Amino acid sequence: MRGRFGLGAATIVSAALLVAACGGGGGGGGGGSSSSGGGSSSSSSGVTVTGAKVIDPNSLNSPPKGTIHFCTGKDTSGDAHQVVKDFNAKYAAQGYKVVLTEFPASADQQRSQFIQRQQAKSNDCDVFNSDVIWTAEFASQKWLYDLTPYVNKFRGKFIQAPLETDHYAGKYWGVPYASDAAFLFYRTDKTKTPPATWQAVYQQAAKQGGIVYQGAPYEGLTCDFLELGFAAGGQVLDSSGKKSAFNSPQNVKALELMVSGIKQGAAPKAVTTYMEPETDQAWTSGRYGFMRNWTYAYAADQTGDSKVKGKYKVAPLPSFQGGGKAGILGGHNSVISVFTKNPGLALKFADYKASPAWQKIALSKYSLAAVTSATYDDPAVKKAIPYAAELKQALTQAKARPVSPVYPQISQAIYKNVNDALAGRVSPADAIKKASQQIDAALSTF
Amino acid sequence: MEAASVRAGATTERRRSKGVPERRLAVMMVAPSIILIAIVAVWPIIYAIWLSLHEYSVRVAGLSRWAGSFGLRNYSTALQSSDWHAALFHTLIFTVVSVTFELVIGLAMALAMHEAFRGQGVLRTVVLVPWAVLTVVTATMWRTMFVSPYGFINTITGAKTVWLGSEPQALIVIIIADVWKTSPFMALLILAGLQVIPGEIYEAAKVDGASTMQRFTKITLPLLMPAILVALIFRTLDALRIFDLPFVLTQGQNGTSTLSTISQETFATNRIYGLGSAMAVLTFIVVMIVSFSYIKFVGGNIRGLAEE
Repeated sequence: MRGRFGLGAATIVSAALLVAACGGGGGGGGGGSSSSGGGSSSSSSGVTVTGAKVIDPNSLNSPPKGTIHFCTGKDTSGDAHQVVKDFNAKYAAQGYKVVLTEFPASADQQRSQFIQRQQAKSNDCDVFNSDVIWTAEFASQKWLYDLTPYVNKFRGKFIQAPLETDHYAGKYWGVPYASDAAFLFYRTDKTKTPPATWQAVYQQAAKQGGIVYQGAPYEGLTCDFLELGFAAGGQVLDSSGKKSAFNSPQNVKALELMVSGIKQGAAPKAVTTYMEPETDQAWTSGRYGFMRNWTYAYAADQTGDSKVKGKYKVAPLPSFQGGGKAGILGGHNSVISVFTKNPGLALKFADYKASPAWQKIALSKYSLAAVTSATYDDPAVKKAIPYAAELKQALTQAKARPVSPVYPQISQAIYKNVNDALAGRVSPADAIKKASQQIDAALSTF
Repeated sequence: MEAASVRAGATTERRRSKGVPERRLAVMMVAPSIILIAIVAVWPIIYAIWLSLHEYSVRVAGLSRWAGSFGLRNYSTALQSSDWHAALFHTLIFTVVSVTFELVIGLAMALAMHEAFRGQGVLRTVVLVPWAVLTVVTATMWRTMFVSPYGFINTITGAKTVWLGSEPQALIVIIIADVWKTSPFMALLILAGLQVIPGEIYEAAKVDGASTMQRFTKITLPLLMPAILVALIFRTLDALRIFDLPFVLTQGQNGTSTLSTISQETFATNRIYGLGSAMAVLTFIVVMIVSFSYIKFVGGNIRGLAEE
């Protein structure tokens, strides 16, 4: 009798644990920063998505009256509330209304919340503010409208690079909303003009306290590494998008530069544990000469007890000696759910978010990197955002991360192995080789 | 004839007054909890097992198939994966080391809290504070303290260790954080056990001339065994599914991947539902094995000790 009770109790306890193990799934594991994202045009030519609903670009002119829902991550900066308010003020008279739904602040939570709704074929989210790295995954699951006709019609007004973040299987799946790219932050009291190459950055950093960046094993490191790898001429996927092209001398060279930087003291060994907050903490302590970080840090690191207030400037990322310039695109695209009942109104709202009028507000008031080219030349914007010219240059030279339905696995293969190399556990060549094998394994996922 | 009908009538009446309604009432009263357990515990397990026997395409919408090798391919993939072996190894190390420390510290805390002295209430409250703090908050706090090079720990010790970026230091930090957080829980369970030991036994022992140490080893520990075992079972099962500390502190890197972090990464981040579920079921099996061993090898003593 006691034995049976014991067995039963053990079963129930274990059962509860199993539920917890699965339920934890919602937590997300990539640890992706919400400010980062990307995709690559070259990776998509061999892949097709057939049978997707295609948008009619003219449907935005006079869609049926109604209400649509706009889902986005927690609106910490306030731009989502403002864009919805502005749109409603402008179009309420015509019977159009947008309602805002906020998801959690964590990027992984946003992704899983959207996935859950799409799996249930729910029309909770007519328009979703999608991190640029999710496009391929959503598109391959046939959750998104094919927006190619719209993008082709209005291609001219966009900066070209951000468009590539929603380019998958030869089609465009989103309207760019806000982009992002990293800068090289340098101390004006130590450096007059920013170094022209990554090699020079590391040489100078060794004498000026070092460079800090995001070297922890998470999405941010994939970006930080690919910025050097792409600049050196490296690739992640081959042109078919079905095989890894990661194991190349260029990628090894890029990683060797980062690893030797740590070995020779040009970067603190602790960068292998840094995400954005730790990077800012280190930078604002005033001990370092350089920092690689996203645009948000420009304003953020001038506040509080920062010891570098007014002592730094930003530059687009330098070129790689023997290669060229690169960067990694972050940001968000407006994607339209196939389960929407009013695709015309959804497109009208997505189009409004990408309109020159709103993009100007987004950049000058909310520091969101505008996706429309003309915005950066506006005198009012230049006045509000001192780094507008550098930002436009950074976006123009930046590239998308690989656009693939198995992107999370590809990114893990990169950041885990690169982190191992940075921590000195494996050689750069071995890390790149192992990552490449794991990328190939990821690409063959059922 | 008449007698038979009388007997039948009596039976019916007896059944109506006692048997049937009582049994039905019992069923009715137990039913809600049974249904609830079925919904929240049994159904997810069956569903997870069902998922683990299939493969779901991450690239083609709605495409799924029965996993090969009699549906067990996901299991063989997991069991052959060096990542899974590493996660199992880290989980077991973490469990053994952290639970051992928690037991020793928790026992000490319980003994201190049990002593009657001024400020006993304050001590009990203070000791329980770490347990009341959310694990994610705990993790963030320890992360801030161990961050290199300007974290609190490196500043006061002058060490240059990159705690969260090295093996096995990262796992040590996670164990420290867990011991800090859950020793009070251990203490609470053991304290409950201490309070049911009758004071007369100690008085009798004192009269017989037993020393403090003898009283502890001959009276306190044996009588405390049931409570300690319950606490051990709770903590061990909890430790085996550790997720939040490595997730926040190290993202499961640097020798800190665990059964839960690897299942979660496979299932949620990579959306490989079949393999992820198989890993979750394997975690379940590991937990089952451990709980059975506890109950079989040490649990039997509980009743014996209680009866003594």
